[in-house]
Amino acid sequence: MTDPHLPPPLPPMPGAPQAHRAVDPGAPLIRLQCQWCQSMNEPGALACRTCGAPLDVKDMVSDSGWREAPRIKDMTEIHFGASTCQVEGEIVPVAEINLGQGDSVFFEHHVLLWKDDTTAMSVLPLTGGVKRALAGMPFIISVAHGPGRVAFSRDATGELVVLPLHPGQELDVREHAFLLCSHTVQYTFLRIKGLRNILFGGNGMFMDRFIASGTQGLLLLHGYGNVFERTLRPGESIQVEPGAFLYKDASVTMDVESIKLTSGLFGGTSMNLARMTGPGRVGIQSMYVHHSTE
Amino acid sequence: MNLDQPSRTYTCSWCGLTSSGTDLSCSACGAEVDVRAVVSRSGWTVLPGRRDMAKLQFGQSFCQIEGTYVPVADMNLAASDSVYFTHHVLLWKDPAVAVTSMGLKGAWKRMLAGMPLIMTQAAGPGHIAFSRDLPGELIALPLQHGQTIDVREHLFMVATNAVTYDWFASNIWFSTKEGDETETHYPLGMFLDRFTAQGVPGLLLLHAGGNVFVRTLEAHQTILVKPTAFLFKDTSVQMRLHIEKPAGTWRSWRSWGDRYFWLRLHGPGRVAVQSAFEPMEDNGRTLVDHSGATHRQW
Repeated sequence: MTDPHLPPPLPPMPGAPQAHRAVDPGAPLIRLQCQWCQSMNEPGALACRTCGAPLDVKDMVSDSGWREAPRIKDMTEIHFGASTCQVEGEIVPVAEINLGQGDSVFFEHHVLLWKDDTTAMSVLPLTGGVKRALAGMPFIISVAHGPGRVAFSRDATGELVVLPLHPGQELDVREHAFLLCSHTVQYTFLRIKGLRNILFGGNGMFMDRFIASGTQGLLLLHGYGNVFERTLRPGESIQVEPGAFLYKDASVTMDVESIKLTSGLFGGTSMNLARMTGPGRVGIQSMYVHHSTE
Repeated sequence: MNLDQPSRTYTCSWCGLTSSGTDLSCSACGAEVDVRAVVSRSGWTVLPGRRDMAKLQFGQSFCQIEGTYVPVADMNLAASDSVYFTHHVLLWKDPAVAVTSMGLKGAWKRMLAGMPLIMTQAAGPGHIAFSRDLPGELIALPLQHGQTIDVREHLFMVATNAVTYDWFASNIWFSTKEGDETETHYPLGMFLDRFTAQGVPGLLLLHAGGNVFVRTLEAHQTILVKPTAFLFKDTSVQMRLHIEKPAGTWRSWRSWGDRYFWLRLHGPGRVAVQSAFEPMEDNGRTLVDHSGATHRQW
């Protein structure tokens, strides 16, 4: 019997992986679909093999339609390529990567927590270095190559958001919010359009863009506080504190709008909110980076 | 047997609301039902845990509390209801929810004291959500008709329009001097916020750093708390500055470094503290005046 409180099952994403274990062709096909990333998992699995979300709990959806990013259990293991990622800790979680031969991950160097002495490092070739430097984006993106172990964390209480990128998916991420990404994902950045969006949007001049072109990839973000996701229908919009924006599908547009607030003789101020318009996913963090609206 | 009466009653250990106890959490403050009140040996009660997505009701509206590290208050406002808040706590809103500024008296004094100059209000129908930028707990304080509560500044998140907002001088201060320069310090801030439920019950939401503990002081009972850890109190609780220092050293006589500044709270009434609080920095200068502090040397 279907629980009326549960949201309807999400349609499978294009390219979402199927159950990995071979099953008896004569037996009925039972697969567990992850409610976070829609990947299929073998029967009996406790956590999603692709994103680590617990499979045995109800999807936490608020009345207003926000889904909480799944609380990944301590020591959960996630698989990508020939590598694994183990999520350790809960208050400031650590992503510990065991890189297989031929695999690599790229990251901003300040999130590196520790690594094996033997894990090889290099630098990701980037275009637009001067623009990045002027915009306050990291000038160098580092790459760690397998085999070997390397671990990452950020410097504040929050949640680790695991976003498997299926082929064809494009995701825009707030600058400095990405923790690491697998080498199969293409990394670029896009300039935020409009002077108002740059000055009052709270996201700087650029956003990171991650594109999974040929094969599936893995992207890990660190959101401050709790992380919530909502899927907007075509044309549906929502206004978000700019500092709370964490990620969005490339199909979602973002425009900053001002609300004028007055206080009599003492003038007033304006409150800037980012209007996000669907279709697509929007992710926010509850401990936002507050930008002065004075 | 009267079938209209609930078969049992349950009194919430946090806000005192009496209900049938059949829900998983209290509809007024979100505290979990059927859990024992956790009281330390010294008498502090821990703010009761809230289930993620716990739902509170006020008027015709609902507030859902989401998340645990930095909780979000997600409000579904009915057409007849509205709330007010300081504008920097707004997380997101439906475009249809109108936000306007609310008039405040004493703008000049508020500006000098570093308090928010503008209070914003939002009217239903629609969804609007609030959060702060600090790990901690969201405190729901349902205020009954005529009930008043005093809150340390910058902790207020959102209140329903049935609750009136006022502020008053904390009168907790001390002055230090070096050369010709005299500096006045306000460990609690210059002002305290005061919230009162007028006419009908209202809901007040605060956000504290870390964990929250509450305690009810008997008449004439006193307790010393760190001024920056203080959260809120009943109006019946009186406050005074208290200074302790070790005797017999040059440094303890002259500088702040060996002095302990406390807030002395006198019962009767409820007081609450937060476990994550800002340290009071030592400027090492001579104490020249204060707001009638009590002293102790040891």
